[in-house]
Amino acid sequence: MKKKMMALALALVMTGSLAACGGGGSTSTTAAPVDTTAASAEAPAGGEEKPAEASGGGLVYWSMWEATEPQGQVIQEAVNKFTEDTGIAVDLQFKGRTGIREGLQPALDAGTSIDLFDEDIDRVNTTWGQYLMDLEELAKAVDYEATANAGLIAACREVGGGTLKSIPYQPNVFAFFYNQAIFDEAGVTEVPKTWAELDAACAKIKEAGYVPITCDDAYIVCMFGYHMSRLVGEPKTEEIVKGGQWDDPAILATAEAYADFAGKGYFSDTIASNVWPAGQNQELAMGTAAMYLNGSWLPNEVKDMAGDDFVWGCFSYPAVDGGTDGPEAANYGAQVLAINKDSKNAEDAFKLICYLTQGEFDKMLSEKSIGIPADSNNSEWPALISCAKPVMESLTTRYPWAAGGEANADMTPIIKENFMSLCGGTLDAQGFVDALKKAGN
Amino acid sequence: MAKEKKYREPINWNKELKLAPGYLILILWISFTFVLLGWVLLASFSTTKEIFSNKLLDSGLHFENYVKAWINSDVAGIFRNSLVYSIISCSLLIVICAPAAYVLARFIFPGNKLIQTGFVSAMGVPVVMIVLPLFGIVANLGILNHVLSNAMLLIFLYIGINVPYTTIFLMTFFSNLSRAFEEAAAIDGCPPTKTFWLIMLPMAQPGIITVTIFNFINIWNEYFISLIFANSDQLRPIAVGLYSMINSMKYTGDWAGMFAAVVIVFLPTFILYIFLSEKIIAGVTGGGVKG
Amino acid sequence: MKRNKGMIIAFLTPAVFMFSVIFLYPIIRTIIMSFFKIEGITDPVSKWQFTGLSNFIKLANTTLFRTSMWNLFRIWLIGGIIVMSLALLFAVIITSGIRFKSFFRAVIYLPNIVSAVALATMWLQYVYSPKFGLLKTIFSSLGLTSLAKIQWLDAGHKFGALLVAYCFGMVGYHMLIFASGIERISADYFEAATLDGANKFNQFRYITMPLLKGVFKTNITMWSVTSVGFFVWSQLFSTVTADNQTITPMVYMYMQIFGAGNSITERNSGLGAAIGVLLSICVVAIFWVCNHLLKDDDLEF
Repeated sequence: MKKKMMALALALVMTGSLAACGGGGSTSTTAAPVDTTAASAEAPAGGEEKPAEASGGGLVYWSMWEATEPQGQVIQEAVNKFTEDTGIAVDLQFKGRTGIREGLQPALDAGTSIDLFDEDIDRVNTTWGQYLMDLEELAKAVDYEATANAGLIAACREVGGGTLKSIPYQPNVFAFFYNQAIFDEAGVTEVPKTWAELDAACAKIKEAGYVPITCDDAYIVCMFGYHMSRLVGEPKTEEIVKGGQWDDPAILATAEAYADFAGKGYFSDTIASNVWPAGQNQELAMGTAAMYLNGSWLPNEVKDMAGDDFVWGCFSYPAVDGGTDGPEAANYGAQVLAINKDSKNAEDAFKLICYLTQGEFDKMLSEKSIGIPADSNNSEWPALISCAKPVMESLTTRYPWAAGGEANADMTPIIKENFMSLCGGTLDAQGFVDALKKAGN
Repeated sequence: MAKEKKYREPINWNKELKLAPGYLILILWISFTFVLLGWVLLASFSTTKEIFSNKLLDSGLHFENYVKAWINSDVAGIFRNSLVYSIISCSLLIVICAPAAYVLARFIFPGNKLIQTGFVSAMGVPVVMIVLPLFGIVANLGILNHVLSNAMLLIFLYIGINVPYTTIFLMTFFSNLSRAFEEAAAIDGCPPTKTFWLIMLPMAQPGIITVTIFNFINIWNEYFISLIFANSDQLRPIAVGLYSMINSMKYTGDWAGMFAAVVIVFLPTFILYIFLSEKIIAGVTGGGVKG
Repeated sequence: MKRNKGMIIAFLTPAVFMFSVIFLYPIIRTIIMSFFKIEGITDPVSKWQFTGLSNFIKLANTTLFRTSMWNLFRIWLIGGIIVMSLALLFAVIITSGIRFKSFFRAVIYLPNIVSAVALATMWLQYVYSPKFGLLKTIFSSLGLTSLAKIQWLDAGHKFGALLVAYCFGMVGYHMLIFASGIERISADYFEAATLDGANKFNQFRYITMPLLKGVFKTNITMWSVTSVGFFVWSQLFSTVTADNQTITPMVYMYMQIFGAGNSITERNSGLGAAIGVLLSICVVAIFWVCNHLLKDDDLEF
């Protein structure tokens, strides 16, 4: 089997040779290399044995941040303090988003000594679930939950299959963020709780000469996912998206709602072509657009452009008529820290987690990165993000990313493209449904 | 496509109108290049608000964009990385490929054609074909966990990927050198190995310089391999480093800083190019040039 | 010859070793992998599940993958026509005895040596910007308001935008190869033709073109090889999640192996390998067609 395929491969490669060598590879020679290739195929296979890793007593911590980011800087400070206080050396490696997504799993498979790592709550608990240590005992020992955000701990248990396998920090919530100045000027006094109220608010904002809603390609599927989940609930949305049930009336209803808004001119003129972060920077931050459905990291990302006097507001995606979910449901989550189940230094590692997620350094992290604190004792949120506090506290149901709208990676680009056209007004609701149906799966 | 139609017509008139249409076309194209680069340069000295409102340099020159870009990301580090990778890889490539090319060009032995065919075919293999198993192996070996071994791996990969082209290029070059030198050396009793290192290799200098420049640019700008295999921020070469710089500038909405980063990365290559453009161009076209 | 045996082996071993490690072994392993379902790229062989051709069947049935192949094909064909025409045109002008030849040549080639990341950023963030973009500025200063209003990065234009930006960077390289090919054609041919009364166009048609066959082959080969690896431009033109208009097989493969964007989705390295195999088959097919259409004894790499 193996040999046949190799011979086939070589034959193919040779047909493809650029004829540069005057047809050097005649069929009689193709048999020759098979032996050598088989031999070379054996050699590296031996390399799959796991190399013994020299572990030097201290902790190894792989982080998703870059050393230059505010998060990275705070983590570095916390780690320094930790080492100073406890005398435990920490090998802190900033891997960056790509580095950790690509590199962690292979490293863990290879038995590299990594004691703790961090990433998004869903990725850690789902993709890397098999590598996690159960933290219930460790948390109980130090009464960790006394000062932790109950909702997030519950979320961690939920995605961890019933037990606590990760500790949240840097919480975030995904909701509509808006420019309070525009709302005031347009006379929108209450945040919209229903789709009809959102409609009315948009009308006032448009009247006042602003763009009511903008978005970018990177987040636009979230609007689709949220609306779907408001209508039929998140599990059903995921089922529809994964199973390709584009005939479901919820798809058409969602498309019609957005086509209606598009027709009324509520979306930015450039919504169909906004490549992230054009919309959030050039429209929302510059004060020409009022609302953007985004994560609570948004005020931090645009703070240099929006300026200090920019007042943020926040409200959860409104309820829709006859829908299952209301504003009490949203995508919220956190970065989480987790401990490798093979770690021999679990207690030390948990101690470091406490340093990072409680008290002084949690506060510092929230201030430096304009993020939400994880420690409930740090009740004061940074001013720019304090608007998200009531929203965060009102949530009872947790959606995953994009409320299920991006559950099918093969469909995400197709939904994205057509939804952008829908919002841009070049596609009508039925056209949207047809486009999804045409794409099949 | 519209461009193509517009430009096609003048070919007939080319010489008749004393090259004027030719000049016109080239000048149009080149002006576009200059406007593109010039605007980016000006933007890198403006503020982000000025960029968005299309009023470049409205409030004078802002050098702080460069200071910010330089300090926030380890620009010196990514330059150093690319420089180290390129220099080591290019030198080793010559040490590895020149002897092989010489042997392939000069001696007849079983397997010679086969190796040549293999090398030429490898030049057409999409990188996707080789990345998966390589990643699997190196990840399992734990090479990605240590900065030094990871750096060595990158260099190893840069070398490996460029072995086929370099060998074939030098092979063409050697086969065009006269055999008279080797014959004379053989009469003097010089062993072939020595002849190669002392006589033939120095004679191949122009070819070596050409192919090295070509390899250097390739490795300097390499993106895909580095994206996958450079696992730590300390190891990033220019292209990946710039990509992450641009992303972090986007996160903070610092367009001016982003263009400054682009200029910082662009400038050294550009200055080098001004001095070496003849050699570089010879390197690109050299592959097919005989004699 | 016998006495050279040691030297031949010693001289060849390093290069052949590198070739085997970097090309031969991975290629064979990738081909084998394409018949298995492999969740993690580092999974040991014992965890591979043999699934026969199902990876290929799944790819064939996935709209997104088909779109990515279609995009690649369009890049190769349309882009190839644009780039080859412009490159040939520039090469002819450059070699027609104009002044400042090396200056023009150097500037046209310049985009090639700039990091693609920098170049793509300039196009994406400046030329196509709907707010302060070069195209917008040019068209509105010419009074063409309808053209100025076009959003170059929306679904209808994004592919074209990507293609034009990419081609701009590639023209220089192929121009150089054409130009060096034209310069190698002996001037005698043209003199004889001029004496026979052939005009410049006919000279181009009947002398330059046929003699450039080999150069064409080189160019098409090089173009195909670079196009197949189309990745960084796609990645830059669609920032976070993949984009229907710009996705290429390489991007799709990256998604399959390392996960896509923000969502947690299933990964399968076997699919990635199958993509590699399909692309290789395409390259082989292109070479084969090229060799048959442009038969010629001239050796070109």
